[in-house]
Formats: sequence, structure tokens, C-alpha cells
Amino acid sequence: MATKTAQNGKEDLDIKIRSRKVNVYYGDTHAIKDVDIDIEANTVTAFIGPSGCGKSTFLRCLNRMNDTIDVARVTGEILLDEHDIYARDVDPVQLRAQVGMVFQKPNPFPKSIYDNIAYGPRIHGLVANKSELDEIVESCLRRAALWDEVKDRLDEPGTSLSGGQQQRLCIGRAIATAPHVLLMDEPCSALDPIATAQIEELIDELRQDYSVVIVTHSMQQAGRVSQKTAFFHLGNLVEAGSTEKIFTSPEDERTQNYITGRIG
Amino acid sequence: MVDLTELSAKHTSAEAASRVRKRNASQVRLKLTGLFAIGLAGLALVALLWTVVGSAMGTVTEHYVTISVPVPAEDFNPEGGELDSVTVGRAAQAAVRDRMRTIFDFADTRAEQRELADIVSSGAAFELADTILENPELVGQDVEFSLVASDVADLYYKGFYGRLTDVPTSTSVRVEIAEDSDEASIFLQQNVFREVVDAVKIELQRRADRARDAAQLQDNGVRAFERRLETASNEEERAEFQTEITSRTTERDRLIGIAEDLENQVQTAGTSDTLDNRMPSVLLKAGGGWIKLTQIQQQTAQGTVIEPLETAEFQAGEWQMLVNTTPEVSRKVSDFQTVILEDLADMDTVTSQFNWRFLSAGDSREPELAGIWGAAVGSFWTMIVTFLLAFPIGSLAAMYLEEFAPKNAITDFVEVNINNLAAVPSIVFGLLGLAVILPLMNALGNDDFRSAPLIGGTVLALMTLPTIIIASRAAIRAVPPSIRDAALGVGASKLQTSFHHVLPLAMPGILTGTIIGMAQALGETAPLLMIGMVAFIVDIPQGVTDSASVIPVQIFRWSDLPERAFSSRTSAAICVLLIFLVIMNALAVFLRKRFERRW
Repeated sequence: MATKTAQNGKEDLDIKIRSRKVNVYYGDTHAIKDVDIDIEANTVTAFIGPSGCGKSTFLRCLNRMNDTIDVARVTGEILLDEHDIYARDVDPVQLRAQVGMVFQKPNPFPKSIYDNIAYGPRIHGLVANKSELDEIVESCLRRAALWDEVKDRLDEPGTSLSGGQQQRLCIGRAIATAPHVLLMDEPCSALDPIATAQIEELIDELRQDYSVVIVTHSMQQAGRVSQKTAFFHLGNLVEAGSTEKIFTSPEDERTQNYITGRIG
Repeated sequence: MVDLTELSAKHTSAEAASRVRKRNASQVRLKLTGLFAIGLAGLALVALLWTVVGSAMGTVTEHYVTISVPVPAEDFNPEGGELDSVTVGRAAQAAVRDRMRTIFDFADTRAEQRELADIVSSGAAFELADTILENPELVGQDVEFSLVASDVADLYYKGFYGRLTDVPTSTSVRVEIAEDSDEASIFLQQNVFREVVDAVKIELQRRADRARDAAQLQDNGVRAFERRLETASNEEERAEFQTEITSRTTERDRLIGIAEDLENQVQTAGTSDTLDNRMPSVLLKAGGGWIKLTQIQQQTAQGTVIEPLETAEFQAGEWQMLVNTTPEVSRKVSDFQTVILEDLADMDTVTSQFNWRFLSAGDSREPELAGIWGAAVGSFWTMIVTFLLAFPIGSLAAMYLEEFAPKNAITDFVEVNINNLAAVPSIVFGLLGLAVILPLMNALGNDDFRSAPLIGGTVLALMTLPTIIIASRAAIRAVPPSIRDAALGVGASKLQTSFHHVLPLAMPGILTGTIIGMAQALGETAPLLMIGMVAFIVDIPQGVTDSASVIPVQIFRWSDLPERAFSSRTSAAICVLLIFLVIMNALAVFLRKRFERRW
């Protein structure tokens, strides 16, 4: 859970993730260059930018998913609650349980809906018995706004759901490990507008309890769901700030050009 | 610069139309070639099944001769008290032999008695002995017992040695038996031998042709030496060639003489013909006896009595003329045995039953006693060992190589070698088994494991591993990366991801590969020959360390045996093997369909 609730207003919120001089290399390619950014708790932060600008790469640094790519190399410092997640004593597996992730394409496990949610709590030993697990599954599915649709068919495979439902199931699965941060890598790009609207509504609700970082191609979406926006271009973090400011009076010319559709 | 608007006109040109025609024609050609290839493959399959199943039909049933065998206490239990298996066994042999001799008391020569002994299987007496040992109360009674027929008798009843056909006659016959010999004279009202004479003519003509061919060869020799004689350099050579010419001329003239003689016989056939053992057998059955005809005229015939009968006149319907067109030399059942077998059939003692013995018995030197069960159990144990070794090692190796191993020169080298191993001839694995695994296991187990499924299974596991690893790797690679991301994303470790998510999803593919590999191993012969699984093993193996054979090796061994009944059993064993393979492949298809998941 977030370290501090939203009662004091947005301006006083804690910094959840702090990155300093982060560089990412894929072999010889320098994908991310000296990115410094602060991500606030209980806020939706949107990463926008043209294709290949490194926003997904940077997102994957936040839960060390880049570790699974042999050629990827990360330098710099990323602090989660003031602890360096790239420190030697940090176990990336444990980290990923605290920093949940939702992927571009809905990827439920080909198991039952129940098992999709229950898998994370089970392997991390979050529950003592079956009834606790049942409670977690129900509350996660409720929070993912999926409970009413699936409560009678928890035994059916997760893959039998529609695309939007699958993505909500994936969100439910991500929050089932009780993370502090939710990373979303273009969660709506494979969905139709109605499903997209549902997910966006859900993201807004999730902000109460989690720091949400969302990568999106759609500036409208960034405008709708996020409070903070960061604009990436060619591996550089060009500009970050409140969404309103980025969209109305960007400081950098490149941001201006991207917002107005001149580059992209 | 090319103008695209101009190019579009080309779509409607004659050139375009001809291109379309060409394209369609090549498509049709490909389709026809494909159909032809499939048709050819189907035809080959049908031909294979047709011959194998057709030949195996001879093993589906077996014949039994049910006769009452006396079990006298003085032979079977001379001492009284407990039955002794050796005494009973010996007594049973004698009892069966004596009973047959009593029924067919006309078998008076040694040769005939030997032929008589070949009617029921040598195993029949053992079975009788076993029955008596199990039921001692039978001693002292006459036991109604089904004796398993010998292979030749069985094949005779199945018609493999030609069938006795009844030549319809509507005339009476007078049979005169000589007082002091086996000779019989037959007097008929009509000529009933026309069909026989036709067959005789064909045989005589064939012999005449053969003599002519041989004469021609001699004639060629004569000419050759005549040419050499002309160019001969000295007197010595000349003399030598002259002798050759003389001897070959004599031989040629002799052969021509024989041929002419035979041709004359063909011309005059029907007046008086001799029936020898290369000609159809003509048997006369009348008054409870049998006569084999040796000489036929138009309305008379001479013959040898096989089963005695009295001199008498038989009206039409009271006697039969039976012809077996397969000559006696071409079959293993003599005319004497034919008479015995027909008599047994007439006595209603012969029954045909489904051949459970083939499916439940071990190997035997006697084809009628040989079964596939020993080899099937051997195959089972071998496959168990193969599976237990190859499946875990193969799938885990594949898992390691795909999911955990770093991609570097060493893993590349390993991969290349695994692929190459799949192409290594299986006999090489047999050599490995003989040179390494067998001595190693012998040393470890302090025992001799030659011919044991333990060794065979290990060798086959080595042979199967590359297949399983290659199939498993393909299956693991086919699991979408998004599943791995999903698992890693919720904080599963690499190991958890692999075993909770990747492995279950790859399992249908891994199992398919394993079953295909196992099916390949099930049909493997060569490596097992190397490690001694080719031995003649009668007992059903009870475990992986017992000496055993396997089905393909059994097929190989039987196919080598001269008995005709074994060739049919070879085919039947092939059918059993094919059935197993079909079942295994069906299982592979079923598993793939059942557990295939979509994502």
C-alpha cells in the first residue's frame, strides 16, 4: 500500500520511485539515456512518446524485467521507497511481487480464472489457507471490476474471457500479490473502445491504493487517466510534469511538436 | 521512370491471360502430383497390410484333436502316493503315442509310425501330463483330451497344403485287394480320370520341355567344342575335345530320347499313366479304407492300399475319388498323413479354436506351441526402462537447454551434437551397450545382465533421447513468451515459471515426442541383437533383470526359421507390433488433441 493516503492533497504526496541517471543498453544500442524521474505515490503517471523512444524499456527497468533479456544492461539508480532496486541484496523475483505489471497483450495463464488470481499469493505464501485465498481472489476480482461477470465461472479458463475481461483479469492478477506499484505497458492497445473505457475507469480507481505507471501511445488516454506525464524521445526523458501542463504549455519544443502531432 | 497507370493495362493483356493459364496449370500439376504420391503411398500401405494380414490369418486359429487317452495307474503312478512329474511326463508321451497307434493300427512301418507321431504336437503330451498332475484323480481313467495338432496337421486343415477335392462320379467300382501285398486293382464302369489325365499331361509336357532345354544346353556344348576342335593346336587338345564332344552328344541324345518319350506319353495320355509324387495325388476312399492310385487306365487303375479294406463292389455314392492337385513333393503332409488327418476329421475329433496360445505363450521350437507373449512382456519391461530413463532426462535436458542455458558456443556445440545423435545408426548404440553399459551394469549389479530388458531399455533410451530432446525443445519454444512474462511479472522465479507454466503447456508436445521416440524404440531390433536379446527364451520375463526378447527381435528370429507355420506366425507377430504402434501413435494424437491449449 502507499505510504501515505490522499487526504493531504496531491501536492504533498510521497515520492514512490526515484530514478537517477538511468541508462539502458541493449548490446551496443543505448536505449535509455540518463533518465531522472520521480514517480509519486497514489498517482497515475503516463509515459508518452513516439515508437521506439524507450518508454517501455524504462518501464521494464522499474521491476527489473529487463534482467530476463541477456543483452540488456542497466546503470544508474532506481529507488523504490528510497531503496535501490538494483542493489546486490535485492532479489528481482521478490521485487516483481511488489511492483506488479500488466502487459500490452492480455496474457492470462491458460488455467482457471481462480488460479490466475491465486497463483501469485500461493507462490509468495501470502495466504495461510483456502478460505483466505478465496477472499483474496474475490477482492482482487472485485477491484479489477470483474467479479460480477465471472463469479459463477471461476473454474473456466482465463483464456475463455473476452479481450477486455482478460486484461482486467491480468490487472487483478497483478494486484493479487499486494504490490505498491502497478506498471502498465500499453494495456489498452489490443482492446476495443468500450473495453478501453472500462480499463481506464479501473485505472482511476486503482490510484487510491497504488502508484500506477502507464505507457501509452494515445495522448488522449494519457490526458484522461494520468495526473503526471513524462515525454520520452529517442531514449531521453524530454519533459515530465503534471499532465495539464504538458498538454497545455509544454516547455520543450519536441514535446510541443509531439503533442500537436508533428512528430510521432 | 515507370508509369504505374500504363502498367495497369498489362493486367488485361493476352500475356497476362497466358500467365494466369500457366499459373493455374502448374497448380493443377502440383495437385495431381500430390494426389498421385498419396495414392502411391496408400497403395503401398494396402499392399503391405494385405500381405501381412493375409499371411497372419494362418495363425488366427489352431486345431485340436480330441481323443480319449487311457491313463493307466500302473504307468502314471507305479509307486502309488504322490504323482511324480517325470514319470507322468514320460507316461503321457507313451500314452498319446500308443493311443494314436491303436486308432491307426495300419501304420506298421517305421516311416509310417514316424509320420503318425507328427500328427499331434509334441507339446500335447506335456499338456496332458500337466493336466494329470493338476488333477491326480484322473489316473486310472480314460481322459477325453484335446491334443494340439502339429504345425503340419494344422496347416493341412487350413488348406495350406492343397485341398482334397471330391471328383463327382456316378458309377460303381470294384476293388480287388491282392492277398499278399498292398496292391489293389480298381475296375470302373466309366472313365472318371479325365481331369487327372489333364493334370498329368501338363506335368509330362513340363518334364519333356525341361529335358529339351537340358538337351539344348548339351548341344550348345557340343558346338562349342567342335569350334575349338577346328582351331586346336596339338593332338592332345584335339583328343580331349573329341572326348568332350562324344560324351556331350551321348548326353544330348539321351535327353532328347527322354523328351521324345515323354512327348509320346503326352500324346498317348489317358490310355495308361503312371502317377508319381510330382503328380496330383488321387485317393480312393471306400469301405472304411483308402487306396492311393499309382497307375490309371481308362476304366481300370492300380494303387497301394494305405488304410486296409476288403475286396468288394461299391455302388455310386458308396465311394469317393479325392484329388489333391498339390503334388506330394510340394507339401509336408504325405498322402499317408492325409489319410490319417481325413480319418480324424471324419471321426469328428478335430476342432478349430481361436489361437489364444499365440497370444499367451512364450517362444518355442515348435511353431504350434510358439507364442508372442514372452516377447511382448519383454518389450513391455524394455519400454518401461526406456521411458523411465528417456522421458525425465530428455524433457529436463530440453528444459535446461531452452530456458536456462546461456546461449554460447558450448550450448551451440551441444545442440549440434544432439541433432547429429538422432541420425546415428541404432546399431552403434548397440555397440555402446555391449562395450560400456553391459559391463558397467554387470559390475554394479554383480550379476550377468546379458539379454536383460534393463540393458536393452538403457540402450534404447540413449537412442530415443535425441528424438525426445528435439521434440521437447520445439514444444517448449512454442510456448508464447507472453506466458513467461506473465509469470515473471507476478514474481515467479525462473524455475517456477518453467515448471508451473512452460512445462505444462509444452507437455503435449513433449509427450508426443516421447511416444514417437518410444514407438521407434519399440520397433528397434539391431541394437538389441548386439546385447544378446536375440537369445531363444521360453520363459516369460518377470522383471527388468530377467533374460528377455522383444517383439521385433522375435519377428526377426521367426522369419529366419524354415517351418511354414513360423512364417505365418512372423506375420501375426508383425500385426501385434503394428497394433502396438498404432495404439501408441493414437495415444500421441489423443494427448495432443486433449491437452492442446490456445492462448
